[in-house]
Amino acid sequence: MTNPVTKDRRHFEDLAVGEVIDLGRTTVSKDMIITFAREFDPFPFHLDEAAAKVSLLGGLASSGWQTGALSLKMLVDNFLSQIASCGGLGFRDLKWKTPVMVGDTIGGTVTIAELRRSSTHPQWGIVTLDFDMRNQNGKPVMSMRLANLVECRKAEAVA
Amino acid sequence: MTRWFEDIEVNEPFPLGDHTFSAEEIIRFGTLYDPQYFHTDPELARHSHFGGLIASGWHTVSVGHRKMVDALFAEEERLRGLGQEPGVSGPSPGVNSMDFKAPVRPGDKVTYTLTVTDKRPSNSIPGWGLLFNQLTAVNQHGELVYEAHLVGFSKLRDYTMPLRLRLLLALSKMPVLGKLIRRGS
Repeated sequence: MTNPVTKDRRHFEDLAVGEVIDLGRTTVSKDMIITFAREFDPFPFHLDEAAAKVSLLGGLASSGWQTGALSLKMLVDNFLSQIASCGGLGFRDLKWKTPVMVGDTIGGTVTIAELRRSSTHPQWGIVTLDFDMRNQNGKPVMSMRLANLVECRKAEAVA
Repeated sequence: MTRWFEDIEVNEPFPLGDHTFSAEEIIRFGTLYDPQYFHTDPELARHSHFGGLIASGWHTVSVGHRKMVDALFAEEERLRGLGQEPGVSGPSPGVNSMDFKAPVRPGDKVTYTLTVTDKRPSNSIPGWGLLFNQLTAVNQHGELVYEAHLVGFSKLRDYTMPLRLRLLLALSKMPVLGKLIRRGS
């Protein structure tokens, strides 16, 4: 059965290992940091500039989960919304390397590291994606390896 | 963990509470951070293999983090209420693994639990201990929604700094010597 939402998008067979996706850039404002922290990570160093100054971070910094969420948004805009994605499976080796401070601009690339057919669902493939997120000074802020399901054009049983 | 390293019981589940996901918040999070059609559009989502709207995995994980922060603050209060000084936890360097197992649909009630599966004093950061944390999220049917493994830090209560480090610290507080020591390290 063809999915009318994804039928004209790139499918599993159209992807290649080594393909690099440019994620563009996002500038992180004080307002964005505080809004996310209030709902998901209400530590004083994500909410209050004075408290943040005397913390280990030395200033107002985004929640690591927000850095990840913003990276995911960039991946959806630049890749997942253009392929027949059918959901994430999870991730490995997420590392927060440098805090993202107010006014920082983050961006980076995602590289297709691996492509394999699902062993249980012949209509799906799994794409493995390596994130390399950096700030405006080229310093790494976050890396992780994400696994995502993609619809195949032709269902094929894995031997 | 808002407990001293020594007080943390390995394999003792620490309940973090639950959260019921509404369609409104699933769409709001999806629109901001994960705008795929099955996270933002209930009509189009019917065509996906999920058969309807589901929460972004990143959403269920972010809520799990919030539940953990709230539970740590509550534990801190509880210990203070008992007249004890709470322990100190450090920032997490990352997540080893996160596996999404079952989708979260509007109205689902997800219960979160933190378990320290192992602990040891840190080799590289004196005075701190490493915690190997397992986070699980389970829905109202008892199905596993996600399982995560991450590393955390907790301060040692009974840590005595070796004489060599204590001397270095004392010397580094003297103006001229301190500058030299800091430059050297």
